[in-house]
Amino acid sequence: MERAIETKKLVMTYGTGRGKVEALKGIDLSVNKGELLAIMGPSGSGKTTLLMILGLVTVPTEGQLILDGDNIYNGSARDFQKLRREKIGFIFQFSNLIPFLTAEENIVLPMDLVGTTGQKAHARAAELLDYLEVTGRARELPERLSGGEKQRVAIARALANSPAMILADEPTASLDTDRGLSVMRLLRKVSTEKGTAILVVTHDERMIGEVDRVLQLVDGAVVSDESQKKGQGEVSKVGPKAATDIHEKPIERAVPVRT
Amino acid sequence: MNLALKDARYHLFKFISSTLGVSLLLMVVFTLGGIIRGVILDSSTVVSATGADLWVVQKGWLGPFVEGSRMPEDYYRAIQSMRGVAEASPLVMAWDHVEHPMRPAGLMLFMYRNARIGTQTMVQPHWMDMARELRFLLIGYQPEHIGGPPMIVSGREIEASHHELVADLKTGLQLGEIIRLRGFDYTVVGLTRNMVGFNADPVIYARLEDAQHILFEPDPDLLRNIRRRAGGQIGGSALVAPSVVQPSVRGASAVSENLHMINAIAVKVEPGVPIDEVAQDIGHWKHLEVYTADRQVNMQLMGANRLILMQLSLFRLLLLIIAGVIIGLITYTFTLDKIKDIAVLKLLGTQTSRIYSMIIQQAVLMGLLGTVLGAMLEFASEPYFPRRVSATLGDMGQMLVIITVISILASLVAVRRAMQVDPRIVLGT
Repeated sequence: MERAIETKKLVMTYGTGRGKVEALKGIDLSVNKGELLAIMGPSGSGKTTLLMILGLVTVPTEGQLILDGDNIYNGSARDFQKLRREKIGFIFQFSNLIPFLTAEENIVLPMDLVGTTGQKAHARAAELLDYLEVTGRARELPERLSGGEKQRVAIARALANSPAMILADEPTASLDTDRGLSVMRLLRKVSTEKGTAILVVTHDERMIGEVDRVLQLVDGAVVSDESQKKGQGEVSKVGPKAATDIHEKPIERAVPVRT
Repeated sequence: MNLALKDARYHLFKFISSTLGVSLLLMVVFTLGGIIRGVILDSSTVVSATGADLWVVQKGWLGPFVEGSRMPEDYYRAIQSMRGVAEASPLVMAWDHVEHPMRPAGLMLFMYRNARIGTQTMVQPHWMDMARELRFLLIGYQPEHIGGPPMIVSGREIEASHHELVADLKTGLQLGEIIRLRGFDYTVVGLTRNMVGFNADPVIYARLEDAQHILFEPDPDLLRNIRRRAGGQIGGSALVAPSVVQPSVRGASAVSENLHMINAIAVKVEPGVPIDEVAQDIGHWKHLEVYTADRQVNMQLMGANRLILMQLSLFRLLLLIIAGVIIGLITYTFTLDKIKDIAVLKLLGTQTSRIYSMIIQQAVLMGLLGTVLGAMLEFASEPYFPRRVSATLGDMGQMLVIITVISILASLVAVRRAMQVDPRIVLGT
């Protein structure tokens, strides 16, 4: 199956000398298109750092990142911006829809950023609103949407440019169980039907029943990578030592990307 | 998709109220500009309206509006006959007054009372009592020559040979109103608009002879006194020393003969003849001082009104700077309110230039709307000012350009803040 994202020996270190903190310790990860992966772990385990690196917001100290077949290596801030526009979708805990744009405009915005405008963009937005069953709320501002509706619109926004990967940061944390499950099922549906790799950072164990794999992080290292093929009894546990040793051109600088 | 407009629409009340605040400030900037232009126009109105190319006064004196030059009336005939002169008009012009309490409108009274209250700690009691006399610039002219009222907005021109006046609306005089000057009643037969001297005193036009009488006729009691004293000398010494007596008699007569004096001669040069040449000829052959119309205006503007113009200009500049600072602060707070949205936009891969453009566009939009609104408010309020305030659409155009630049500069602080926004703030929360 085609890879959406792959990381090799990702290391992220903050500070120097005695204050040096190793947030990620050689993370190897690969996610296929159409796969729904949950990244779990306690606070301080490196989930958010990993999310930032995968989202091209932070450059790792070492390691390699391959996004949709492209080796992301020491690009400029502008290059990362472009990749984020075209290949990555984001979903946040509180949806973070732009408050001054309607639901439809929030979906049109990412398309507008890549130059898709006018009727084509609006048709696509309408299609996504319909797909996520919020058609009737197209003209509403985010403040008039319920939490569940906001997350649906946020998912639609993330899907707008048909990205290779969607990064979801605690998308169900602000929702009750039913609405949370509903959002996870939607993500499941999206990953299956649209063939998008979705990486969900979550604390919520109730949601893991909807995902394909669960990646457990502890102290910056992968302690388990558990595939969940329901009905097929296929469960594999992979520890950090089992990760690949492949080292290609490592990224040497640890520079937070200013965008 | 224009994010700046969408955001402004979303925060409509905040945007409009901020824009309104900016517009009120810019209205004051406009008004100051209008006051400055008013001072300039007041300084040039009479000179321009006369249509004279040259102003001739007594040797060594400044123009007739600045210093009280005097020369015999018949000088104008000599100038009239000179080569290149199309027309020479004898004029009498001087400031005078008449007992005529002001009749200010309600708003003016309110402002006056406010001024009194505001200045009561600065001035002596009664210094700011309402004026009891009407001050005006009296211009005496010959109806067949230049120098009279350029346009009558109500009533008619002077037709009778004596005792008729044309007054400016700013005098507060009405058509048909009679005012008493030097013992004679004069009737207002026509009204002009915006005909004022450089100090904004309104102009009253009279026939040359009437003006000479009003300005130069000595008090009858004083004249009698002079004659009596001269007569006394004659009575005592006429037979023994006629050489002593005769000058006194001539002096007494001269006082009344001196009525045939003028303050200036307005000269119109024939088309095609260089004005400077004619000016040189008059100055050289007639031993008089000659000023071009431009120089005459320059004397009034940069002589009498120089300091007030500079004062107003400085104040206007300060207000513009303050407007810029306020626009900057408003834009900055707008940006602070959008920090999270900016972080999301950055995370979505929004081009940096587009985010900055959103901030700058809002500042410019606010500045431009504030300018237009400020100009409209200024135009609407002009008639309520006691002195001429004359802002133009050109001023607005100029201000639009200046405010655009100021808004861009002012928004740079907000742009800098937006540059510092870390998109990671919306992750891991």
